[in-house]
Amino acid sequence: MQELLYKKFSAKMYGVCLRYSGNVDDANDLLQEGFIKVFKNLSKFRGEGSFEGWMRRIFVNTSIEYFRKKIKLYNVSEVQENMIEDVNLNIFDTLAEKDLIILVNELSPGYKMVFNMHVIEGYSHKEIADMLGITEGTSKSQLARAKGVLKKSLEKMSKKPGSNITNI
Amino acid sequence: MQNFKDKLYNHEAEPPSEIWQNITAELDGGINKIASVKDFRRKPDLVFYGLTAAASFIFIFIASIFFDLSKTDVSTVSNSLHQSQNLLPKQVQDSLNLNNKILKEIINSTKDKNLLALNYEKSSRYGKKYLTIAGPECQPVKISPKVATLIESADNEYPPKPIWNKKIEKWKQIMLGSTLSPISTNLLDIVQASSSIDNNE
Repeated sequence: MQELLYKKFSAKMYGVCLRYSGNVDDANDLLQEGFIKVFKNLSKFRGEGSFEGWMRRIFVNTSIEYFRKKIKLYNVSEVQENMIEDVNLNIFDTLAEKDLIILVNELSPGYKMVFNMHVIEGYSHKEIADMLGITEGTSKSQLARAKGVLKKSLEKMSKKPGSNITNI
Repeated sequence: MQNFKDKLYNHEAEPPSEIWQNITAELDGGINKIASVKDFRRKPDLVFYGLTAAASFIFIFIASIFFDLSKTDVSTVSNSLHQSQNLLPKQVQDSLNLNNKILKEIINSTKDKNLLALNYEKSSRYGKKYLTIAGPECQPVKISPKVATLIESADNEYPPKPIWNKKIEKWKQIMLGSTLSPISTNLLDIVQASSSIDNNE
């Protein structure tokens, strides 16, 4: 049964791990640790919601725990936060999945963590602040900076010869 | 068209094959651990009975010692009571006899008449380590020769040690001013009694 579960969900969960870690070694560690947690806590799944969602939360939490010690997010003041230009993320919709992953992995660990948690997983800034031990303002500023970096990366990517990205 | 969020959310990648091997290896270890835990959960019956038996044995052992000691204590107390009942009149009689002798000596003595009691002659019984004097209530009191010298020095008729005189006088005043009840074995009470007897004479 464990093997069946692994075969069914390992690719998806590995995608989550890669998105949070940005490198294969850390992603491998996260996948291994996450699946062990899943198998050890199978009895705790009460059938509320999808099994994949439950499993994904375990992997996201494992990733957060894994990187929380490594990543130091410094709280920023309101002034700094307000100075950051907001970026409309719809410009990324035209990108292929592969390019998106490359862009996200170019983010610094702190930006990537907040971006993944807020934009992809749908955590609120308060939840992120609680989980990462930072203020909501810091979470917001990290996200705004991450968007800015992504926009610049996208611009660079579109300027590369042979790129099919035109709609920026 | 799928937006970028869905693309990232549903992103999949094939993990290396060795990860499953690592997971199974770790799970096998975990299963063994879990199994050992289960074994331990089966054991509590045995452990519980074992501990209960050990506790009972220790309790019985301690209780037996306690009751044995209690018997010993009771027998010891009863024996000592019997002994004290047997010995007490003898001790009292001896003390009274000794006291009478001391008092006679004091009365007959010319040198030490100012002291309440000093029986140098009889102190050999105690190996010269102590002198026996009669207290204010005529009870025998053992004192060291040094204290006897002190008592002598306290007497104004023997003035070679004026420092002691002053000290003892000071102590006397303190003791007389004290609200505490004087006890018979108190040296200063004895000295005070000595002075009173002298005055009466």
